[in-house]
Amino acid sequence: METLPLTEPVLLILLSLAGQPRHGYSILKDVEHMSDGRVVLSTGTLYGALRRLLDDDWIERFEERDSSRGRQAYRLTPQGRRNLQLEVSRMKHLTRLANLRVAVKES
Amino acid sequence: MLRIYRALLHLYPASHRELFGAEMIAVFSQMQADTAKKSMTARGVFSLREAAGLLRGAMREQVRALGAHVRLSFPTRRFTMRNGFRFPKSTPVLMTIILAGLVLAIEKGKAIQASLPAVNPQIGPIQPEHHTLLPIIALAFAFFYVAGALGWAILFALRRSGVHRLADMSAQQK
Repeated sequence: METLPLTEPVLLILLSLAGQPRHGYSILKDVEHMSDGRVVLSTGTLYGALRRLLDDDWIERFEERDSSRGRQAYRLTPQGRRNLQLEVSRMKHLTRLANLRVAVKES
Repeated sequence: MLRIYRALLHLYPASHRELFGAEMIAVFSQMQADTAKKSMTARGVFSLREAAGLLRGAMREQVRALGAHVRLSFPTRRFTMRNGFRFPKSTPVLMTIILAGLVLAIEKGKAIQASLPAVNPQIGPIQPEHHTLLPIIALAFAFFYVAGALGWAILFALRRSGVHRLADMSAQQK
């Protein structure tokens, strides 16, 4: 079960799906691109995370219409989007707090 | 490499393989094709990462599957019981009071023992004599077992045993 705060790979997978639905390979590439090559997921890690997110109803799986091979793609559910927004808000608050504290210390 | 990948996929539970197996192989093949143009080190890192990811993922999925099986075998929800067999709501309170009484009695006993060290000198270890206790326990157990069986047989003959009462209750409910 996924709980907040999210791990970095899960957060990146959700962010990747926030823009548009994607299939497995596209998610892997997007995660690598978003993190400037710092986070490179293996297929085992990716599909483990996708399985948990599917079970928790954060994402859903569907067959791509324009794919001749009947490729499966993933998209965020409303619940998944809500949880992602919660996590982003939490991180924003944390960043703001950290900036304030660091600024006070430096001055 | 693809053959090893397929073999490692068998470490996953069957349900996971059925759902994601083909997709994982397809994605892995694409990744492998991407890495084929890169250096030997990059290919090595890719292979290691994939193998480690698969092993870790398989272990996690197996634990998850086992957890689901255990949850199914030992449901955490309340068992559905007939009203006639349910404990009254006061039972937990009474049991707690009894437990508290027992604990208090034990503590009181300890306090008394501590306060009278000289009056009750310590008795040396009791030596068992010819193991007389064990046959007595076995005999008592056999006696109560036979008495219980006899009692149940009498109740059964009078159609008052638990089996008959259950059957009567079922008939009444219908």
